[in-house]
Amino acid sequence: MKRILAVVLALAVALSVAAPAFAETTLEKIARTGTLTIGTRTGSPPFAFVNKQNEWVGFSIDLVEQAIAPAIAKKLGKPVKVEKKESTPPTRIPLLSSNAVDLIAGTMTDTRPRRESVDFSVTFFVTGAQFLVKKGSPIKGIETIAGRRIAAQQGSTNARIIRERVPTAQLREFPDQPAAFQALVQGQVDAFTNDGIQLYGLRAKAPNAADWEIVGDFYSYEPYGMAMRKNESDFRHLVNVGLMEAIESGKYFELYEKWFGPRGEAPYPLTPENKRFLILQVVPK
Amino acid sequence: MGYQFDWSILWSGQSGGWLLQGLLTTLGISALAWLLAAVLGILSGALRTVPWKPLRAAATLYVEFFRNVPLLVWMFFWYFGVPPLLPAGARRWLFDHHPEFWAGMVALGVYHGARMSEVIRSGIQSIPKTQFEAAVAMGLTTFQAYRLIIVPIALRLIVPPVTSESLNLLKNSSVALTISVAELTFQTRQIETYTAKAIEALTAGTVIYLALCVGIASIMARVERRFAIPGLIARGG
Repeated sequence: MKRILAVVLALAVALSVAAPAFAETTLEKIARTGTLTIGTRTGSPPFAFVNKQNEWVGFSIDLVEQAIAPAIAKKLGKPVKVEKKESTPPTRIPLLSSNAVDLIAGTMTDTRPRRESVDFSVTFFVTGAQFLVKKGSPIKGIETIAGRRIAAQQGSTNARIIRERVPTAQLREFPDQPAAFQALVQGQVDAFTNDGIQLYGLRAKAPNAADWEIVGDFYSYEPYGMAMRKNESDFRHLVNVGLMEAIESGKYFELYEKWFGPRGEAPYPLTPENKRFLILQVVPK
Repeated sequence: MGYQFDWSILWSGQSGGWLLQGLLTTLGISALAWLLAAVLGILSGALRTVPWKPLRAAATLYVEFFRNVPLLVWMFFWYFGVPPLLPAGARRWLFDHHPEFWAGMVALGVYHGARMSEVIRSGIQSIPKTQFEAAVAMGLTTFQAYRLIIVPIALRLIVPPVTSESLNLLKNSSVALTISVAELTFQTRQIETYTAKAIEALTAGTVIYLALCVGIASIMARVERRFAIPGLIARGG
């Protein structure tokens, strides 16, 4: 028994060590397969979600398909197809490390600890955490959640901040937005906290949107970036070029209007401050 | 692979405490669910063999209904589906007392009870019919024959498959993280959130599950030897 165990363990270790020997760079992989594989979400409107027509769409997906993939295709001199895979906060870094996906394009906040494991593109969206509550709820922001039952998304930065700043709040963490929202609808929790823009997206798609309100000042800073494997600067450069060119050409703002404009999935006007921040990230040609 | 391992994240910071908390929750929910599964399993497993049709039918219905729907669905059912059916007072009380833990426990217990039932039924049916007939001929009622003869022998016969089923239950408790139970797998994800070191955190979780299961299996092997009836079962080794 012990000997078998030892053999199995040795085999597992050998395999995991041997794998990198066959590794190619992300760009080589895309050139060989003609496919850019992204990890994205199915339940985070309007960034990435499955719409009523059962299509997998969203702002982040559009950015990849209309800005990043063309930049890579131009560099490689051949068309690049975008393939989507589901990724959630707990799975996205392992999906990258294991080469299952090449780019995380969803709603991932760029943080310093995450930068120790993955590399990020320039910031493509800025938001902050707020609370979704039933209209008339006594919860008005992070100052009023002590002792309350608060739903959050597992593996998100919000849960972490609440745990540190309001340890008396009863956190309930769910793997995805629909489950957390369901818990809120049923009264299992008093509020659902997430990045403000995601709450707007969620409310816009809720059956009785008018029953819900989004409260509180941003209690966190959430700059969204696209994540990729560490130390592949040629690939990261192309991702950044795609995003910068989109901001420069106005394509970015067109897409912004499509998803966050008055007629978009989740109306959320771009503040002049955020617009300026996006433009300042674009380095000269 | 551009991944740099950093195992120190497992013992620095809060990781150790989280893993311990997760381990305790996993053990708590599994132990309670196991008790529930054992009671339901023994009851329905025995009822499926009794010579009275309505009881057999009820037990069959329970088994087929609960074991043929995915555990994840049961988790959502007990967590989201059941509370709205409760009276308002009970619901409010439940919402303040970790409904996710109780829903997860019941989901696990009822699901595995249905699977346990089949194991117990096969144990009972492997006992020669003459045992039951002999017991009745001695003047025992059907209930007494089951309680004193059939079930005690069956329980001894089924220790190996029950061990497997119990280990499955322990590992399946991780599904409860979908309804926000902060068990072991949940805590390994928590470590990932704070450190962005997923592979190390998952490895820690894997090693703990492995150690738990191997430990339980060896205890059960001892139980099997301790309670064996000499001369009844042929055994190797």
